[in-house]
Amino acid sequence: MMRAVLLLLALLAAAPAAAGEAKPARIVSLNLCADELVLRLADPGRVASVTYLARDPRGSTVADLAAQVPVNRGLAEEVVPLAPDLVIAGAFTTRATTAMLRRLGFEVMELGVPTSLEEAYAQIRQVAARLGEAERGEAMVARIKAAMAALPPAPADHPTAVVLRPNGFTAGRGSVPDSVLARVGLDNLAARLSTDRMGQLALEEIVIAKPDLLVVNSAPDAPPSLADELLHHPALAPFAKAARTVPLPIRLWACAGPGLAEAARRLAAARERIAPGAPSPLVGAPAGLLQ
Amino acid sequence: MTGMRHHRLLISGLGLLVALLFAVSLLIGYAPLDFGAALSDLLAGRESLPALVLAELRLPRAVLGAAVGFSLGVTGAALQGLMRNPIADPGIVGVSGAAALGAVVAFYFGFSATFALALPLGGLIGAGVATVFLLMVARSGADTATLILAGVAINALAGALTALALNLAPSPYAALEVVFWLMGSLADRSLVHVALALPFMVLGWGLVLASARAMDALTLGEDAAQSLGFSMQRVRLLVVGGTAAAVGASVAVAGAIGFVGLVVPHLVRPLVGHRPGRLLLASGLAGAALTLGADIAVRLIPTRPELKLGVVTAIIGAPFFLAMLRRLKVEGP
Repeated sequence: MMRAVLLLLALLAAAPAAAGEAKPARIVSLNLCADELVLRLADPGRVASVTYLARDPRGSTVADLAAQVPVNRGLAEEVVPLAPDLVIAGAFTTRATTAMLRRLGFEVMELGVPTSLEEAYAQIRQVAARLGEAERGEAMVARIKAAMAALPPAPADHPTAVVLRPNGFTAGRGSVPDSVLARVGLDNLAARLSTDRMGQLALEEIVIAKPDLLVVNSAPDAPPSLADELLHHPALAPFAKAARTVPLPIRLWACAGPGLAEAARRLAAARERIAPGAPSPLVGAPAGLLQ
Repeated sequence: MTGMRHHRLLISGLGLLVALLFAVSLLIGYAPLDFGAALSDLLAGRESLPALVLAELRLPRAVLGAAVGFSLGVTGAALQGLMRNPIADPGIVGVSGAAALGAVVAFYFGFSATFALALPLGGLIGAGVATVFLLMVARSGADTATLILAGVAINALAGALTALALNLAPSPYAALEVVFWLMGSLADRSLVHVALALPFMVLGWGLVLASARAMDALTLGEDAAQSLGFSMQRVRLLVVGGTAAAVGASVAVAGAIGFVGLVVPHLVRPLVGHRPGRLLLASGLAGAALTLGADIAVRLIPTRPELKLGVVTAIIGAPFFLAMLRRLKVEGP
């Protein structure tokens, strides 16, 4: 192993120092969001490996593309033999692997978590530029923006919405889903909470807040877990009964990419369905108690 | 011995305490609730928002708090009486851990999705296997140390297999949920959980409480109890079956909440004149009160997500356990 590493280091040292400028030919991704951008923007021949998560159609929007590419589980030992000329990792995942790859002299690009639609567009452009595919990146952003512009106009009375994810997590202020909800003309009740962008809500808070729309990030065929069981709690049944639940696969808006446009389209359709004056699911406390 | 009157007074007092804590548990929550409106809407059958919160979120939590606590208290007292051992408690001797393993297998691998009763039955099988094994150890004349060591072994094995099962489970969330199964929680439980678990728990209580008279005789030893006309075979069957049903169903819906079954019988024992038969019901009620109190505490402590219930019961129970071990050492086993 040590000899292999030394050999590799020698190889890398021999590589031109200006590698950062060249169009990378052996790209490795260690993060699901990076997987989606790399697979959509670069030709498959240039992708050496993506994460195993990219092949799971429940969590990934590029499962079909990922099927043609080798996968990794985020371990340095898997990455080194591939001798990549660009590694893309998440800023908060596989930290030990990222640090080791840097020590070994690989070029590692870290992707942060965008906090708004604008930042998501910027991330698409940033990755596309590094891949040497700036035009494809620009085209992707233009397509998303065009789809957003084609949505029906937002009504003056902003209906309220809350996002519910497994384990009671929500999408708060400063998150891409919050930005998408605003773009669609929905008032995100969780943004009024003094939590960060991944805040957790008690079911009681959600029910009492009485959102006009309950956006549930669930997969209908998810394997059993307590985290997922929460999404099917009987206390949420009245929302479904009143057609105020919007099931939205989390993969659509977890990462920067074309899924954002699809998420916006589905949310706008749901908002149209609950036209002003539609009956509320329940009588009782007014909406907006959530402080 | 102050007799029946004193005992009745104690039972009514404990019952009142449980009722009071049950009401407090309904009143406490994460969002402001107009309790009067909720109650009147609920009783009138109106589908209002406060009624929904009360019926679907707070009621199951309070019912399970009382029922799980009763199960742990009553089985702790019964195991201590049957094994004539002050350390016997479903948590320490590994019954809860084994129940968690059974429930984990039933839940994460989809058995309970196709057949809902698989969840409590999984817990019941796990608890039953562990109880039978422990009783065999206890009957072969094992001392307290041997029983604790057997419990340590069962706990270690069940904990490791639970972690293994969760790692092998198809859901990406499963591995993170080991804390729930090891520490227990009543957060966001529903009436579905109550409906699944409560019948088994009630059955378990009935079986264990039916052994009350034999428990008193057992203080004289198994042979003496036998000569007084109590069938040991029957007593063992009642306690093992009752413990498996009550603890198995509790753990299946609330995880393994530790130390309740250990602490409660020791607190209550002086109050019942050291009569193991009377200890059973009193321990059940005291267990319900302790668990309801701990569950109120986790909601009042301002941490998010809330503390697991077992964290609070262990903070109360573990020092108690250590003090008791020290006393046992001083007095000799």
